[in-house]
Amino acid sequence: MTAIEIGRLLRASTTACVVGCRVSQANVPAFGGLVRIPLDAAYSIFGLIYDIRIEDDGLVRQLVTADNVPNDVILDNRVNRNVPVEVSVLHVGYEQHGRIFHLLPPRPPLSLDLLYTCRPEESRAFTGAGRFGYFRHILRAADLPVGELLAAHLRLANADHAEQGNHDWASAAVQELITLLRDDYPTLMTVLGALADTEAW
Amino acid sequence: MPVNYQQVLQQIREMGQQATQIEEQAQKLRAEAWRLFDQYACELDTLQQLVELAAAENPHLRCALPCQECLNAGFAALPIDSSYTLLAADGSQINPDRHASVEFGAINVGAIRVHPGQGRPPEEVVRSQMLFYHQLFTSNGGFLTDDVVALMRDIAERRELISLARQENSNGSDLIVTLTDGTLEPFREAKGQLPELEKLFETYLEVLRELAGLQVATAGYVDKPRSHLVINLLELIVLQKEGRLKQAGKDHPFLLIDDAYLFERILEPGQRSAVMAIHSPAVQSFTGELSLHFFYLNVGRPNHPYLSRVEIPQWVAASPRLLNLLHAALLSQSRMMGVRAYPYVLHRAHEIAVVGYSEREQLENMIIAELRRQGVPVGERSYKQVAKDASYS
Repeated sequence: MTAIEIGRLLRASTTACVVGCRVSQANVPAFGGLVRIPLDAAYSIFGLIYDIRIEDDGLVRQLVTADNVPNDVILDNRVNRNVPVEVSVLHVGYEQHGRIFHLLPPRPPLSLDLLYTCRPEESRAFTGAGRFGYFRHILRAADLPVGELLAAHLRLANADHAEQGNHDWASAAVQELITLLRDDYPTLMTVLGALADTEAW
Repeated sequence: MPVNYQQVLQQIREMGQQATQIEEQAQKLRAEAWRLFDQYACELDTLQQLVELAAAENPHLRCALPCQECLNAGFAALPIDSSYTLLAADGSQINPDRHASVEFGAINVGAIRVHPGQGRPPEEVVRSQMLFYHQLFTSNGGFLTDDVVALMRDIAERRELISLARQENSNGSDLIVTLTDGTLEPFREAKGQLPELEKLFETYLEVLRELAGLQVATAGYVDKPRSHLVINLLELIVLQKEGRLKQAGKDHPFLLIDDAYLFERILEPGQRSAVMAIHSPAVQSFTGELSLHFFYLNVGRPNHPYLSRVEIPQWVAASPRLLNLLHAALLSQSRMMGVRAYPYVLHRAHEIAVVGYSEREQLENMIIAELRRQGVPVGERSYKQVAKDASYS
């Protein structure tokens, strides 16, 4: 499976970035999906999609009042008009010279850098490295829907591991979350509640 | 300094006091205009002769000239039975500014090509032309006037439409609609003394002739028209009855009202009015297949009429097929915009074409950078402009 280009970077900080893409590409990224921003041959940043925002403008607001919006107009707005979908990504680690680190990247990506979905082998390599150190970046992001984000991420990553016959990854991940959240009962309950709603384990 | 609100308030109150009286007067005039409109709507020969008589008295007369359809008739669009191509263009310009650091102009044309109902995304085209050095001066040695740049823009819009129409034509499309915003008449007043305007106007006519050669349904779309062409025609009846036809086009017995009042009453949603010709000294250059015609179109909803005025050349007016294609395409386009009906493609062409202030600044910076790269000295903004920019920043 090849990596799919999602879009290009609009703005970034050390902890997160926002990528713009055209609406027609919006079916590609998924909430909780692992993405990769290659900065050079030996350095890539990994991130988790935590928000997908579709902005409107005056014309779109007017068009929605029409009885019937023809396909030409829908295509025009999705393909031609300059209203990008904004995909927000939380940085969860990076890869340098073949080594994966669950640390914040040493430097953020720059404007117009490309962002790709991770291939299953990249997802397995990143999520299987170390002891789930990247969870702390997610748990620290108090403004995010942490439970939902972890549930979505664990479901997607578990599918990648299960594809190669590794069925223990998910339970190890949940055990690690319980350990990390043992002193934060409300968050733990939120996370476990969201995980309980995830059927595809 | 802001406006003097004390003075303004007083003037607004005085206007308010007059408003009721003026409205009563306008209602009487509307009633009289409506009566004449209804009475003479199908007296086409009489009206045509009247325009001829009045034009002999006043060569500057501007009014509607009835053609073959009763003026109080409404016509619905028939469904279009084959696929067609819709092309729209709009332009934007940067007028040369002697107060800027560098003197330049720019004409930006945005166009959009749509194949309605064919499931293809529309295609956008942007064409930008910069004006430098000798291009910025008229033959009189003066800076290009806004009029000249505007006409250059109009021509560039139509040239883009021709180029796109030719492509469509060569691809086998024989039903093509081209739209521009505003009238087809580039200006209503005398063209003045500038040879550039005369020359550009000739080019404009050549471009229109080429569109005629391609048998394209071409039109200029005027949103919220406030024209008096039919009212001016009705005024001729009044003046003739009063034996004052010499005052045609000078005295305006129906000054306070416009055509919209008449056509909002008779046109059902989606209907167009009769096609009429424009009698005007400024359109005398539009002869033969280029002669300018128009109709009103109600793009509104039941109980909420909303009119546009559509200017078309004679070759469209004379072809029922092209006329219906244009009518149906405009309706379909306008309805896409919901309750505030306006052709979608024209709005999009505007979006593509428009040059904002920030882009102007960007262009200016690019020119300055290039001049510096070449070692050519760069001027400075006028001190007047510097002071203004400092005040408003």
